[in-house]
Amino acid sequence: MILTGGPIPALRDEEHHPFAAAPKPKDRETPMSMTDPNDTASDTLPLRAQAIDLKDAVGRRSSDRIMPILLAAAAVISAGLVAFVVFFVAQKAWPTFVSEGHHFVTHGGWDGQIEGALSGAATIFFGAKPLILGTLYTTAGAVLVSLVLGLGCAIFIAELAPAWIRRPLETVVQLLAGIPSVVFGLVGLAVVVPFINNFILPGNAADVVTDIPLEGASMLAGILVLSFMILPFFVTVATDSLRAIPRSYIDGGLALGMTRWRTITRIQMPSAAPGLVAGLVLAAARGVGEAIALSMVAGAIAYVPNMNSGPLYFLLMPVRTMASAIVEIGGEAMNIPQVGSALFALAFLLLMISVVLSVIARWSFTLFNRRMGVVSGRKV
Amino acid sequence: MSDMSIKGRPHPASVVGTTFAWVAAALVATVCFFIIGFLVYQGSGAINWTFLTTDPQASLMAEQAGGIRVPFVGTAILILGSILVAFPLAIGAAVYLAEYMADDSWFTRTVRLGLEVLASVPSVVFGVFGLSVFTFSIFQGLSAQGAQGADTAFGRSFIVASIVMGIHILPFIIKVAEEAIRSVPKSLRQGALALGMTKWRTIRRVVLPSASPGIVTAVVLGMGLAAGDTAIVWLTLGGSINMAVDNWWNPSQWVEVLRGTGATLTTYVYFNSPAGEGNAPGMAFGAALVLIVLVLAFNLIAVYVGRRSANAGRR
Repeated sequence: MILTGGPIPALRDEEHHPFAAAPKPKDRETPMSMTDPNDTASDTLPLRAQAIDLKDAVGRRSSDRIMPILLAAAAVISAGLVAFVVFFVAQKAWPTFVSEGHHFVTHGGWDGQIEGALSGAATIFFGAKPLILGTLYTTAGAVLVSLVLGLGCAIFIAELAPAWIRRPLETVVQLLAGIPSVVFGLVGLAVVVPFINNFILPGNAADVVTDIPLEGASMLAGILVLSFMILPFFVTVATDSLRAIPRSYIDGGLALGMTRWRTITRIQMPSAAPGLVAGLVLAAARGVGEAIALSMVAGAIAYVPNMNSGPLYFLLMPVRTMASAIVEIGGEAMNIPQVGSALFALAFLLLMISVVLSVIARWSFTLFNRRMGVVSGRKV
Repeated sequence: MSDMSIKGRPHPASVVGTTFAWVAAALVATVCFFIIGFLVYQGSGAINWTFLTTDPQASLMAEQAGGIRVPFVGTAILILGSILVAFPLAIGAAVYLAEYMADDSWFTRTVRLGLEVLASVPSVVFGVFGLSVFTFSIFQGLSAQGAQGADTAFGRSFIVASIVMGIHILPFIIKVAEEAIRSVPKSLRQGALALGMTKWRTIRRVVLPSASPGIVTAVVLGMGLAAGDTAIVWLTLGGSINMAVDNWWNPSQWVEVLRGTGATLTTYVYFNSPAGEGNAPGMAFGAALVLIVLVLAFNLIAVYVGRRSANAGRR
């Protein structure tokens, strides 16, 4: 195992760990990884072999035997937890999916059904269409707003800002990411909702939309609050992606007579596109899972917004998202098996959306890193 | 900068775009400062010594609604508990990922994918998951007995919430800690190995101490996440505003406190907000201000320690 693999390519291999004469060398794909860059002193192979054998001998202490196993166990448990979560949620959701079938996603009437179930109705069925659409609309709206605002912000931080603004602004973005969702909800409830009610909602709203009271707590409020919650995650990733574009690309554009802005929009943004997409997808995943803030500002009524009265009223209608339905109804009500299973069905849908989004984000990152010539999935 | 076109006039698209970027950045900063400023404006009136040191009372009268001592202690318990749960697993996984794993095996890729998916699981899903898992009767030791009889557990307690929150913050801690471990210069490891240290000894005596600022950053970030989350706490801690036992400060009751329901600052804010049942917005703003000071302090510490360690690595 020691004699295979030329030392020269290994010396150039910066990514490998220098002391990878690992306890389990057979697991390695490339035996060359066990060469130390500082092994150059030993210019003959037998000497090198001796040195490594010695290290292996020293490595046969009990702690060096046990620790890798313990550490591997920690890694496997951590990563395996998600499988357990998915399995458990799926198993709990199963009765609902079996009994409701596709009606669960194509039919509405959630609020009444839950009320009925809680008051002990004999036949219960659930339709979560309003919740699914509510999640979809609010997340899509928030992703759109944070795409526009966040891209501007990321371009500013990565390229345009003078150094004295850039540092504090980056800290501000991190602060925004740290603000708890319940605080977003509270401020949204105290500021955004009254603002919409007083200034955006037309005075004759009650005559135009008759089937549901419009009171400011609406999809629009949800979108506004949610977009600022997910924006920092997009900005962070987008800034990093824009910065990762090699200077030579931009210099090439400038040398061809492009303006600075044009190099940003025509060179940097297209090159960074997979990174930007990844950031956006991560932001969307956060938006889909947001429960508390949306339950506070978006109306908390399982209602399907419609365009019958025009796009403005569409935005001013209340919605309830899947995540907020879980947090509002969950608790004591889960002791009723049907309600519990219906909530788990929502949780399962959320979980699947999150899994798909995180896989898409991972693909995008991989694509971006490959494009940037980064090996082994880590940015340099 | 070359905002000028060849003709020497500013290019219109350039001007519009640049202005837009400035405006977007200014707007984001304004919103952030507005939120903090608004909380200070609305919440500072509620904060006084009594508010911080009395327990909440279920009352519709704001004067009798008491203070936030229990939620504050609850947040502290939850932070400590979740870190206790997450830290050993997270450090173990981070060390393994950074030091032992081949970068390109299917095993590595599977573990990384698992962690990424775990990081993307919404906290509300963890909430119902935890609440349901810990109602199984074998977990009766972790929470009070279930209402329906002896075959279930109540499923809501500080222990349960800490475990679930620990799982929630785990992937974030792993990620930051792994970066920190990876950024330790190779020369340190080589030096230790050259002195005849074994691999594990090198990790324990050289790599981990050098990576400690980054690991502190990871833990502090995790604490901030734990302090700020509402959904998990609301579902797995019972959504009350007080501890399960009255004289919770008495050490003989501490086991019962940990096995009982409680409140944290986030659920207190949710409960007292106009959306909740308590409907004492003044109290909610006071608690939100305390909460945000706490969370922002955690984040600033993490940023500060992170930058210092980054600078130290560069030197």
